[in-house]
Amino acid sequence: MQCREFREIVDSYLSNELIVETNHRVISHLEHCAECRRELKARRELRGRLRAAFLQSPENQLRPEFADGLRTQLHDCSLSKRGVSPLVSSRGWRSYVKRRPIIWIALAACLLLIIGAGLVLVRQRMVQPKADEIAVNKERPAESPELNPAISVSIVKTELARSAVGDHRDCAIRFRLAEKPIDLVAAGQKYDPVYVNLTNAVLSQQGAAPLGAQFVEAHSCVYQGRRFAHIVLKYHGHLVSFLVTDIEPTKRVQSESDPQVITCSEFDGYKVSCFETAHHAVFVVSDLTEGDNLALARALAPSVFAHIIRSENNA
Amino acid sequence: MFGSALNHESLSDSAVRWATFESEAMPHVGSLFRLAVWLTRDRAEAEDLLQETLMEALGSFHRFAQGTNCRAWLVSILYHMQGKRRRTAARLQLVSDAEERIAETTAFEPSTPQNVTDEEVLEALERLPRAFQEVVILADIEEMSYKEIASALEVPVGTVMSRISRGRKLLRAELASYANAHGFGRSTPHQISQKEPLRKP
Repeated sequence: MQCREFREIVDSYLSNELIVETNHRVISHLEHCAECRRELKARRELRGRLRAAFLQSPENQLRPEFADGLRTQLHDCSLSKRGVSPLVSSRGWRSYVKRRPIIWIALAACLLLIIGAGLVLVRQRMVQPKADEIAVNKERPAESPELNPAISVSIVKTELARSAVGDHRDCAIRFRLAEKPIDLVAAGQKYDPVYVNLTNAVLSQQGAAPLGAQFVEAHSCVYQGRRFAHIVLKYHGHLVSFLVTDIEPTKRVQSESDPQVITCSEFDGYKVSCFETAHHAVFVVSDLTEGDNLALARALAPSVFAHIIRSENNA
Repeated sequence: MFGSALNHESLSDSAVRWATFESEAMPHVGSLFRLAVWLTRDRAEAEDLLQETLMEALGSFHRFAQGTNCRAWLVSILYHMQGKRRRTAARLQLVSDAEERIAETTAFEPSTPQNVTDEEVLEALERLPRAFQEVVILADIEEMSYKEIASALEVPVGTVMSRISRGRKLLRAELASYANAHGFGRSTPHQISQKEPLRKP
């Protein structure tokens, strides 16, 4: 190794990021090159001084009373039956908002935008059904559109599958949803009775998911305006989202007597298996192989399908 | 973040979880606070950010894979929370063209000056473009691996490597310039090339 090459890789050597062979070559070079040894020593010293200065800077020291208070708060939250609700109870969030009145202005602006968008949507809905009907009638030669809805079903599935993937990614993987998820039972009482006892339909009486998948959590969340019942499982070390959402009345189809589980989409590298009932679409989303994802969906389908059908009939 | 799953836990489950969280995550509070101060440039905001980060981490702790690097996991949550607060995560990760040009046009390899004080080192660090400060802090002060930094900042490992190299070079250049201005330190430049080194994949 020449000095020039050493200087090219010295940063990675300092960070212990070189492969073993290159590391040995560096060490071998250093044994007979005093100049590079000096340079390495100087860089190490600079790194050490930078680290010490940064760590010891008074500005960077955590106040002991704050650290104690934080530990107590976390401990209480952890053991509380209410569970963790970070932003609602956080002094930090409240003080953050208090210090920034612009947040209230932004909220008001958002509210106005939402109302505006809602008005536009309502207006569009008043006009659009006729156009939709024309388009659907062109696609459907059958007398009754409900008997041959294959085209509209695939469109619905594609749209919903995209939302399901977005929810899996932003909620289960990155937990970056704009709206905080809520308890599944509470969501069931408020939005959709199918959500109630859905967890029991996914888990066996022993509390385990099929095929040895592990239960992680259950809640209801909203992705881009669409509400899902969301059960997160772990299977072969991968997070898997089991998502149930309702199908809009205009897009509903006749239901099969058994769940027809298929691999319906793949977006952004996530596999999507799905089936549907008369009023609901069910998705299993993960970055498992297509076969594993489908197998898990099929294992979950019978009990979930029965639960949803029961709930829909009761409603 | 999600309380629903916790509602079904027994007290002993919660106690075990807290004990695990305390042993895995709490030792990194000091490190997280330093990063929070650097990110926010304000101690009060840093305390808020730290609190939000740890609350989020506690709520999502079941997703943390035991045996992996907890500090790297916490740092990625810290960055995410800061992004949510400020909506500037993307801005922080971007290096402006001007900054890239500055780093590229430091054509010589500055020697490492000696006889500089801690304060001078910190002042030199402060003068670096923010994206370079960031990787130097994570690599040289918090001693995170390239992969961990890439994951926390959501940038490719190659970007981390080049920013660390350029950040350190700029830091030495800042200190060399300071040393020359004050009449101490070495000043012999060494030419470097851009050949790709043999680093860990």
